[in-house]
Amino acid sequence: MTSTVDTSSSPAATVPSGLATVARAPRWLRYALLAVGLAVALWLPNGLYPAVAVDILCWALFAVAIDLLLGFTGLMSFGHAAFWGTSAYATGLVAIHAGVPFPVAVLAGALVAAVLAVPLGYLAVKRTGIYFAMVTLAFAQMIYYIANKWGSLTGGENGLQSVPRELFGLDLRDEYYFYYAALPIVLLGLAAAWRIVNSPFGRVLVGIRDNPARARALGYPVHRYKLTAFVLSAFLAGLGGGLFVMGHRFVSLDALHWTTSGKAVIVVVLGGIGTLWGGVLGAAILVRLEDWLSYSGFETIGLVTGGIFVLVVLLFRRGIWGSVAALAQRWRASRRR
Amino acid sequence: MRRTTGLAAVSAAALLITGCGGGGPQSSADSKLTDDKIVLGVLNDQSGVYSELSGRNSVKAVEMAIADFKAKHGASVITDNISVESADHQNKPDIANNRAAELYDRRSADVIFDVPTSSAALKVADVAKAKQKLYFNITGATTELTGKACNKYTFHYAYDTYMLANGTGRTVTEQGAKNWYIVYPDYAFGQDMERSFSAAVQQAGGTIVGKDPTPFPNDNFSTFLLKAPTLDPKPDVLGTMQAGADLVNLVKQYNEFKLREKGVGLSVGLMFLTDIHSLTPAALAGTTYTDAWYWNFDQRNREFADRFQQVTGTRPTFAHAANYSAALQYLEAVQAVGTDDADQVVAHLEGKTIDDVFLRNGKIRAEDHRVIHDAYLAEVKPAAEVTEEWDYVKILKTIPAEQAFASPSADCTM
Amino acid sequence: MSGFLQHTFNGLVGGAFYALLALGLAVIFGMLRVVNFAHGAFYMLGAFGAYVLLTEVGVPFWGALVIVPAALGLLGMALERAFIHRLTRLDPLYNFLFTFGLTLILQDLVRSRYGVQSSPYTTPAGLQGSVDFGLFTFPTYRVFVLGFAILACLGVWWLLTHTRIGMVVRAATERPELTRAFGIDVGRWVTPVFGFGIALAGAAGVLAAPMRAVNPLMGADLIIVVFAVVVIGGLGSIFGSVAAGFGIGLIQAWGEAYLSETAPILAQTLVFIVMAVVLLWRPAGLFGREEAPA
Repeated sequence: MTSTVDTSSSPAATVPSGLATVARAPRWLRYALLAVGLAVALWLPNGLYPAVAVDILCWALFAVAIDLLLGFTGLMSFGHAAFWGTSAYATGLVAIHAGVPFPVAVLAGALVAAVLAVPLGYLAVKRTGIYFAMVTLAFAQMIYYIANKWGSLTGGENGLQSVPRELFGLDLRDEYYFYYAALPIVLLGLAAAWRIVNSPFGRVLVGIRDNPARARALGYPVHRYKLTAFVLSAFLAGLGGGLFVMGHRFVSLDALHWTTSGKAVIVVVLGGIGTLWGGVLGAAILVRLEDWLSYSGFETIGLVTGGIFVLVVLLFRRGIWGSVAALAQRWRASRRR
Repeated sequence: MRRTTGLAAVSAAALLITGCGGGGPQSSADSKLTDDKIVLGVLNDQSGVYSELSGRNSVKAVEMAIADFKAKHGASVITDNISVESADHQNKPDIANNRAAELYDRRSADVIFDVPTSSAALKVADVAKAKQKLYFNITGATTELTGKACNKYTFHYAYDTYMLANGTGRTVTEQGAKNWYIVYPDYAFGQDMERSFSAAVQQAGGTIVGKDPTPFPNDNFSTFLLKAPTLDPKPDVLGTMQAGADLVNLVKQYNEFKLREKGVGLSVGLMFLTDIHSLTPAALAGTTYTDAWYWNFDQRNREFADRFQQVTGTRPTFAHAANYSAALQYLEAVQAVGTDDADQVVAHLEGKTIDDVFLRNGKIRAEDHRVIHDAYLAEVKPAAEVTEEWDYVKILKTIPAEQAFASPSADCTM
Repeated sequence: MSGFLQHTFNGLVGGAFYALLALGLAVIFGMLRVVNFAHGAFYMLGAFGAYVLLTEVGVPFWGALVIVPAALGLLGMALERAFIHRLTRLDPLYNFLFTFGLTLILQDLVRSRYGVQSSPYTTPAGLQGSVDFGLFTFPTYRVFVLGFAILACLGVWWLLTHTRIGMVVRAATERPELTRAFGIDVGRWVTPVFGFGIALAGAAGVLAAPMRAVNPLMGADLIIVVFAVVVIGGLGSIFGSVAAGFGIGLIQAWGEAYLSETAPILAQTLVFIVMAVVLLWRPAGLFGREEAPA
């Protein structure tokens, strides 16, 4: 099947890549941004309720995982809750039954998510674009049904409760300390995502996103590349899901529900598709906003999140990071003139 | 979010993210009353499926309890400074987790009430244990609260799956319905209900003619309704363990397939007054279920219901009455021991027998903190007999407290 | 045997809802390349429309079956003009995301007005009995639903094959590149077709009101199954979507009737298993053509 390809229609291509902009930014600015980011990450649980800060970390990782697929491979997964949630359950089960240090359990959970991603991804990457979104959504719903039914393993709607949080005998019961125990894992995950995007493999992915026919003509096994990206993304989402379990010390079916997938995509779009770090910002804003809304006595939370989403899609497609990057670029261009 | 002003958005976001006080672990000094006040926390669903059953009106019920408590003790009341803090957990256990910790830590709640949704209910039990503060669960249905997940600071107040299933299965069978067809939603709640229900039916001498798991959630039960009258022997009753929207779907379709006319009655595992209201009593006439409390059962209940209606504009469900009762009993316990110290209050409550508007023949079991009390087998009135809004059922039988609840589970170690 | 026939008939009734929703999705997708996530929300609005008309205005079921789809069709056209239109030139994912956000908003608006508890709606007066088919009897209302759905599908088929607008829609759906190449002006039909698809979802919602729980989330899980249905049928094929809708209804009814006791997990996830098999065997769907890379 040959056909002309409209490269301009890819969601990532319609926005100038924020990442590319930052990469083109002067070295001092890049290091400054990195330093500021690290400083904020280190300070966060002092300025926020620590449990909320932990949630932000987990969702940041989840968002970056989705952006890896959406922004850099052109595949929008609307079913990533399957991996976030599966890893959450696997992590919880490993921690409960094996009593290993929590990073080991999280790693095990993420590996289970990656293994699950192989068959699902194999089927899903047979379709592209909007079909890919629908197929992933449907498979995630199937996983949800199975987990719900399989109460003996997952605890059904009671969830897995009292997941132990152990690290070489350290007392991590306080969320404040747990935040600092989880932070290195999240930073490693983010660094891995950055490394993937900036590797030759990542450049092939972008090539496939922009022009799959050309990539195929150049001899790249497109399906295999997509599948690999899918599995890597599932692994990162699984890291986030595993930490989420450890943060709350329990997991429930919500973690697998399609609304969780949808929320994750909202976070990415809000932060900026194809910017990688935009997802981190998006996660911080949405998690904080939801937390605040649930206290404010404001009842129509769906209206707010849905409204933000609609506005971002209609008016603000670059997302926060993308917009700032574009502004900065324009500012620098005008100075040069 | 404005069109191009990304920077404005970022700074707004920064404000949003940081707009919250300092962090880190905190501790408070001991005194007779911490901070010289009592704070009652209500954590429940204020916008979702349980919002009408409990929700904001439970907060008002707790406020009623405070007013009644102050009025009763007058000048000798332990403190005048009693307040309510409430939060919406949206039926999400992760939000419930954060909210509960915040209520105890930041809003100095001495106790948390309500908490519907099993996963959230269990999570908050965990938080209460960690924070060593009291927790009265009202609207969680899972027996795990007094089983594997039981702890010193958690009390399970109104009902549970065993009470519902056992009450209905046993009593209806004893009243003559011998053959049962059971459909249950295929998830933990439904599976638990089915086990307790089938056991109760069989103990009472009934037979399970057939039972089918149904998908959850599900909007089409027609396959099972077609099957029901064709079973051999034909079931006397269809026992349904569905809840919420699934129950509404099932009942609508039960009527459509005219099963009552075909001689198959309907018995429901979990039904609330609000469900009857939304299905209309006509759709459910003759349906039996177990209720934890009914507002028009006797004069005492009715008086409470009238006062409640003045405050809220509607009749109380059992959850509202139970929140009222739990708040009142907590305050009485604090008054009695003269401190809000959690350990002393727990010690006072354990084994206590109570009789109030909600708890009849009530007792707080020391072994597992199950609060036992009389339960009721209710039948929905035919439409012609409904003369007053919300007065939809008649009580067929009072199930004595000792029979209504399971004996303490071996899984519970405090 | 009568049991099997009964379950088969029952499956067709269940499939009728999938077919009506899938048909609306397919014609919208055909003209706009938009996968309307809010289709389930419009189904929900249809049911609520019937409820509101009955309780607040006193319009019975039959009136609602005309008024509600028409009103929702107009609402759909307004939404298409105001928002969706702006996004159709971009990647279809943006409209998918837009309609996802719209779904959250619509659900929450209805919830804040009518609550989460299901609202009551009874079977219309003339359709409360049962029809005797000799081998089995079936509720009259369900027979009516099936008849309505089949007539609606046949009506759409007639429109597609015998009218100019129908041919444009069919051409745009099944041979998009060719249609553009022939210089056929698709643009002026876009808005009415979008409204028509929404009206079909609204009609399905009105039909559901007497037999299903009317609440703000009634379309939320349904739409995911319908997505699986159109993936199976092939979204680019209008006939395929309808056929898959009825087919999945049948498979689900048979699965529930004969597998619930032995293999409930299979009975409950059949639609997704079928989807996986179809993706392996015919990735473009049973009746779909290989998609143009988007």
